[in-house]
Amino acid sequence: MDGGTQGAAAAAWENGTLAAVDRLQSDRADSPTPGLVEGTEPGAGQRSAMFVHAQSFEDLSTEVEDREAQLGKSEGCDAEEFNVLVGEKPAQEPRNNFSSDNKTKEEDISSEAWRSHKKHIFVLSEAGKPIYTRYGTEEALSSTMGVMMALVSFVEAEKNIIRSIHADGCKVVFLTKSPLVLVGVSKTCQSDKELLRELHYIYYQIVSLLTLTQLNHIFQNKQNYDLRRLLAGSEYLTDNLLFRLERDPSLLLSAVTCLPLASSFRDVVSSGLQAAKAKNLVFSILLAGDRLVTLVRKKDQFLHHIDLHLVFNLVGSSSSFREGEGWTPICLPKFNTAGFFHAHISYLQPGSELCLILVSTDREDFFNMSECKQRFMERLSKRSAFQALKEALKCPSYSVAQVGIPELRHFLYKSKSSGLYTSPEFPTVYQTDGEQERLMRLYQDLHSALHHPTRPLRTFYRCGETENMLALVTSGFELYLCFSPLATKAMAVAAVNKLLKWIRKEEDRLFILTPLTY
Amino acid sequence: MLMISPKMASGMQEKQYTPCLLNFFIYNPTFGPREGEEEKKILFYHPSEVEKNEKIRNVGLCEAIVQFTRTFCPTKPAKSLHTQKNRQFFFEPEENFWIVMVVRNPMIEKPNKDGKPPTIEYQEEEILDTVYGAVVRQCYSMYKLFNGPFSRAMEAGGVELLMQKLEKFFYRYLQTLHLQSCDLLDVFGGISFFPLDKMTYLKIQSFVNRVEESLSLIKYTAFLYNDQLIWSGLEQDDMRTLYKYLTTSLFPRHSEPELAGRDSPLRPEVAGNLLHYGRFLTGPANLKDPEAKFRFPKIFVASEDGYEELHLIVYKAMSAAACFMINASVEVTREFCEQLDGLVGPQLTLLASDICEQFTINRRTSGPEKEPQFKFIYFNHMNLAEKSTIHMRKTASVCLTSVHPDLMKILGDINCDFARVDEDEEIIVKAMTDYWVVGKKSDQRELYVILNQKNANLIEVNEEVKRLCATQFNNIFFLD
Repeated sequence: MDGGTQGAAAAAWENGTLAAVDRLQSDRADSPTPGLVEGTEPGAGQRSAMFVHAQSFEDLSTEVEDREAQLGKSEGCDAEEFNVLVGEKPAQEPRNNFSSDNKTKEEDISSEAWRSHKKHIFVLSEAGKPIYTRYGTEEALSSTMGVMMALVSFVEAEKNIIRSIHADGCKVVFLTKSPLVLVGVSKTCQSDKELLRELHYIYYQIVSLLTLTQLNHIFQNKQNYDLRRLLAGSEYLTDNLLFRLERDPSLLLSAVTCLPLASSFRDVVSSGLQAAKAKNLVFSILLAGDRLVTLVRKKDQFLHHIDLHLVFNLVGSSSSFREGEGWTPICLPKFNTAGFFHAHISYLQPGSELCLILVSTDREDFFNMSECKQRFMERLSKRSAFQALKEALKCPSYSVAQVGIPELRHFLYKSKSSGLYTSPEFPTVYQTDGEQERLMRLYQDLHSALHHPTRPLRTFYRCGETENMLALVTSGFELYLCFSPLATKAMAVAAVNKLLKWIRKEEDRLFILTPLTY
Repeated sequence: MLMISPKMASGMQEKQYTPCLLNFFIYNPTFGPREGEEEKKILFYHPSEVEKNEKIRNVGLCEAIVQFTRTFCPTKPAKSLHTQKNRQFFFEPEENFWIVMVVRNPMIEKPNKDGKPPTIEYQEEEILDTVYGAVVRQCYSMYKLFNGPFSRAMEAGGVELLMQKLEKFFYRYLQTLHLQSCDLLDVFGGISFFPLDKMTYLKIQSFVNRVEESLSLIKYTAFLYNDQLIWSGLEQDDMRTLYKYLTTSLFPRHSEPELAGRDSPLRPEVAGNLLHYGRFLTGPANLKDPEAKFRFPKIFVASEDGYEELHLIVYKAMSAAACFMINASVEVTREFCEQLDGLVGPQLTLLASDICEQFTINRRTSGPEKEPQFKFIYFNHMNLAEKSTIHMRKTASVCLTSVHPDLMKILGDINCDFARVDEDEEIIVKAMTDYWVVGKKSDQRELYVILNQKNANLIEVNEEVKRLCATQFNNIFFLD
């Protein structure tokens, strides 16, 4: 083993490079094989991971280890702070077909249309009071939610826990997260675990608005408190999150995707953020739409992917941040369910997709953060990186044709150690919303099968009438491929190697290989 | 100083519990609609010792679950409820009659130090809904085979008669459920057919025709060899249930006396009749016995106007068994039985040795018997034919499989995947243990293969399965 490292060191020396020998770097083969060790797969960060990421979605169900914020605990929220957040207006240009939702809210719950929705989500308090419903109004559903609560408590009375109810083509999944109860009703063939994962996200979404401490406090004081009073105006965040859950692979993979950008430019941006630090600044995040440009964090502080997705959701759902500099409290529940962080959210330029999020521990830090942004902007324009960024924004994605595998239609590749994934844009066969959702569900199926809680699999291949799917998990990566139904198994096997080689070649652009800290 | 006594050390071991039957009950919500009358809804409850209020509570929960599910899908009733500790399966075979089976999840008991009670960990992902849902449906089919539908007892003697019949049947039947060894084969509930050459098959068919011709009372006939079906005049669904009864209950109880030594007590008194080995498995044990009773079990099978009641005569010679079914309104007499014995006994004995000979020849030409090269399960939804080289032999008590239970569950998972979409599919997976499992669904047929070739890749696995299909299923087209 030592011999190998020494050999690599000797080779490095012989080649005359002055760079310190990086074991990881020397192990980064150009033709990665599925047998790679974690940390050497394409897309693996060369220093350390940027954020804590779940190895798999099971992580969601493990209790949050209350990582006490060592950065001075944020004081509990007061109503004023809270209003800043929930007072946000929903995005004026709602994403895609999102605008119809206001209509469905008023739907008659005894109607066939209400029943036939693919997925219902309900949130209620332990007193059985409605807090959220995806379709219809909470008032009309109060008796239905009462029944849900009755079922939960009945089973609880037997010192047991209700999990799910199954009928042909319909399932009901329960999640009790005191003081809330979440119920999902799905007519898709999604597995229980997938649905449960979505309910967890909704739970964290609500906690991110209130903190768990406050949530507990409210219900300890008044058991039948109507939480909608506090959450009014924030439903769009949950609606939007649900929409993302159906469409966005990042939530499925517990990973984040990056804006393709030459590593030299990305490094300039990262070091710009690194330089624009402040005492209470914990995370600096630069987004381009749904894609991460870079993330710089305080040393020893990690951002959990769930928290990052909640930030993505907050930014993506609200248009008000476009109007100027936003300052909003946000609880990052995987970091600390007890307190608020304060996020400075602003777009780099009006009309630009580039959004900077500076997360501070101090609620009085607005002007400091604003100044950090200025410093960052100055540095960015000085080094002409801004121009490069704007260029990169023009092609935020890539076509699968670039990989050069004819029968390959689409793929998802996740580097486990960095928690980053890459995926091409949807090909023409999956242009409609319906087709894209269907493809996502196929990926969900593969994901569930590979990550079965007791019978996990290494490889899953499905040959069907509309497409052939192949998924594999190794210690370093997860790979999901979608082929045309004409592809053979031999093609699929060859495609894996070819694709890994291609990703290795492109990893500088597709991943963040050198994450920075302040 | 720390000393661990051997007793303590052994006490520290984890204990593993397999899934087991917690409750089994049948209720009809319309029988006690008023408050305070809830007990009247309950028609059968196992275990019967359960306290009345708990019975009422458990039935109440089921009613609530069923009602609640209707909010979202009014046409599709709830089928199962998952909880941390158990799973409940609901089945409404006849309007308003609900059968509920509660199965405890397998669990691991981990001892704690310092005399604290052990920690129990429930394994919630081990039970497959499809398997146990099928078990509940099988319970009802078996009841119906011997008693007719619930409505029959209701018409004949009201709730009381139905409760008596349920008690009598399920008290014994539930003891024969072996929940820990249920698997994919229960989902299929298939019939294993005996492979036979055309000539011998024709011989059997002409035998059946001749017997039905001479003994015109016989309405239906079924013919089995070696616990495998060769010919049946019954509807498929009835044959499936009857087949299950014969192979898991009746045949195992009458283990081959032909194989026992001459002086063995197992060998029945052939009473000087050395012309044949025929004997009745139902009805009289010995025809020569003047005290012999000519009572046969009654079964109910589907007919044009609902169902018909039949006497079930099972007659066996060596490994060949023939079932004769006679309208229940006719009394089966000693004369009839003697006639049947005289006619069928010698012919069946002859047929049995013919089939045996054929079988041995075939086996010799196809190579010596050895551990099957491929482990597979095949099922055809059209004719219910099933074939498994994974299961050694299904007996009344245990079902031995030659593969790890987790692999069997992966087969079950793939089967669930297939059931979701109505199109031809192929699924190939590699388990963490490096076993490959292949499932193919093609035009009502399903094939599952387990391959123990750890270093093989997808292409090699595909080649192996192709080879299997070529040797075992050469006339069946499977999607490639």
